[in-house]
Amino acid sequence: MIDYYFIMVPMVYLAFAVFFIGILFQILKLLTTPRQLTTLQIFPAKKPSWLYILADTFLLPTVRKHKPVLWVFLMLYHIAFLLLIFGHIELISDIRIFQIIPHEVFLGKGFVGVTLTVCLTYLLFRRFKSPYREISVPEDFFLLILLLFTVLSGGHMNWAANWSEYGFDISIEDYREYLSSMISLKPAIPEMIADSPHQIIMVLHIFFANLFLIFFPFSKIMHSFFALPLNKLRRG
Amino acid sequence: MDQNKKKNLLETFDAKLNRVMRMYLDTCSRCGMCVEACHVYASMPEIKNTAVFRAEVIRKLFKRYFKTQGKIWRSLGDSTTFSDNIVDNIYDAAYSCTGCRRCTVYCPFGIDTQMIMSIAKLLLIEADREPKVLTMLADMSIQKGKADEATRENFATAVSKLETEVIEKWRKTGGEEVVPLDVQDANVLYVALAGKHSIIPAAAIMNAAGEKWSLSYYEAVNFGAFVGNPQKTKEISQRIIDEAIRLKVKEVSICECGTAYRVMRHQMGELPFKVVSFVETIARYLKHGRIKLDKSKISGRLTYHDPCQLARNGGVIEDARYIISHLTDEFVEMTPNREYNWCCGGGGGLVAIGEKEFRMKSAKVKAEQVKATETKILSTACENCHTQLTDLVGFYELGMDVKFLSSLIADALVQ
Repeated sequence: MIDYYFIMVPMVYLAFAVFFIGILFQILKLLTTPRQLTTLQIFPAKKPSWLYILADTFLLPTVRKHKPVLWVFLMLYHIAFLLLIFGHIELISDIRIFQIIPHEVFLGKGFVGVTLTVCLTYLLFRRFKSPYREISVPEDFFLLILLLFTVLSGGHMNWAANWSEYGFDISIEDYREYLSSMISLKPAIPEMIADSPHQIIMVLHIFFANLFLIFFPFSKIMHSFFALPLNKLRRG
Repeated sequence: MDQNKKKNLLETFDAKLNRVMRMYLDTCSRCGMCVEACHVYASMPEIKNTAVFRAEVIRKLFKRYFKTQGKIWRSLGDSTTFSDNIVDNIYDAAYSCTGCRRCTVYCPFGIDTQMIMSIAKLLLIEADREPKVLTMLADMSIQKGKADEATRENFATAVSKLETEVIEKWRKTGGEEVVPLDVQDANVLYVALAGKHSIIPAAAIMNAAGEKWSLSYYEAVNFGAFVGNPQKTKEISQRIIDEAIRLKVKEVSICECGTAYRVMRHQMGELPFKVVSFVETIARYLKHGRIKLDKSKISGRLTYHDPCQLARNGGVIEDARYIISHLTDEFVEMTPNREYNWCCGGGGGLVAIGEKEFRMKSAKVKAEQVKATETKILSTACENCHTQLTDLVGFYELGMDVKFLSSLIADALVQ
């Protein structure tokens, strides 16, 4: 039997280290470079500007106006992504605030993962079409495919648990045991996971997620941090 | 390309990488929202005519030389190294972009392609590949700033010859100068262009308003900004700033020149005087009842082209419409207008360089937009736009009169 320990333990630590240190480094680098001294505002100015900055950043009004279909997929994609981040935090422990809508982990009974899969497929196939094909670089495809693999493998576990008549043999409690051990720096892979014939799906999910985290600080996904300050510049 | 040249190009690039620029270069997700924002692409749908393609020319160099990603895994971001071929691409990117920033309005992040193209333009200067005419014109402006008394006297003589034409538009009463120069403590220092079309109407309007004003010795146009040389841009503006400080004027009013206005108003930092566009000056005179206009002087429908640097990038938008509401009841808005208005296609130095074939082809969408207004008069408030629109009207046989707002106002002054 192949030992998946490397992917499930050291690589996870490595991925999170690269993720946090990488982002921190990027932000420190920016803070140590000189500021832009003159305005880069677009007029007419609208008040209150902070409200428009937030709206520009989180509701993508320009996309809604000019590419409404893309906007639907982008909004669904980002909301689903956020919900899944919350879902994974709930795999560590119960968070009361997330239970505003009472639910079992994960929220949405598998449909959030389906939404994300559909959106990623749309975004990927969109890039095969001109003029988006010509403006794309390998990174754009790499990221979408990586995310699609991550979501499909992660979704598989959740979908099996929710929708299969046999369920999924690894339970929420097993995930929690594994993640708690990781967080307390006493890594241990619960027997239920190690002995499961479906461990490979979980390992694949973790492997792709690790790659995503490692890649994050060096990619265009840094837009998750820069979208707000850049929109602020445009609003003046 | 030899190593030394590469090294110099890299240093030039590095000097442009401030916080905002790094974020602009890091953030783009190549979503393609900007593709249809560019008038060049709308007129000639080729991928090289998109904002994202132009920015990628620079971004791919940025990744290779300044990003971990490009150093570790070059092909992932399609990163490139400096070569003669790349310099050609940089030229095509920089001088097919008019810096209108319409794509900035479309971008979900607000990435400013003009800023990214400012790297391109500076790299071209370093590579000695910039359009030489722009550098030459910028140097001439700077030289004029160092001019001696003789040049000033020549200018004064030339200006005095314009007096009759100003009086034709507005009969000046009293013994004051018709086109005053060197007026200490003037309320307005008017900065014109080298051309009487930019002086006569403005002089008539300010005289009609009874303004205490002074004509600047210097022309407003900033070729340093067109060629993307920050040092020259500053030197050219500084001549006017020094003059305004010397005369202790309250306000500097920049003639109808979009770039000159934006550079002075938004890019020169804090100044001890107010900077306005002459459009704002006229609007103020109308609001305060200092000038009155006769609507019967204009016959036929009129439309207005928002100059990019004045409107979307400068903030002078509604004042132009306010002025027009005093000029005519037959005003027709272009569609789209204001921050969404199509660029005329002549900005970023293109009019000064020439490039007529490219300018006409790349502004097909502008010609169609103008034509759809079915108007007789096409008004604007920018020299570059005026030249380009005049060329377009001829090329596409639109049969319209292209007019400056100031000239329309001067002709409609109630005596």
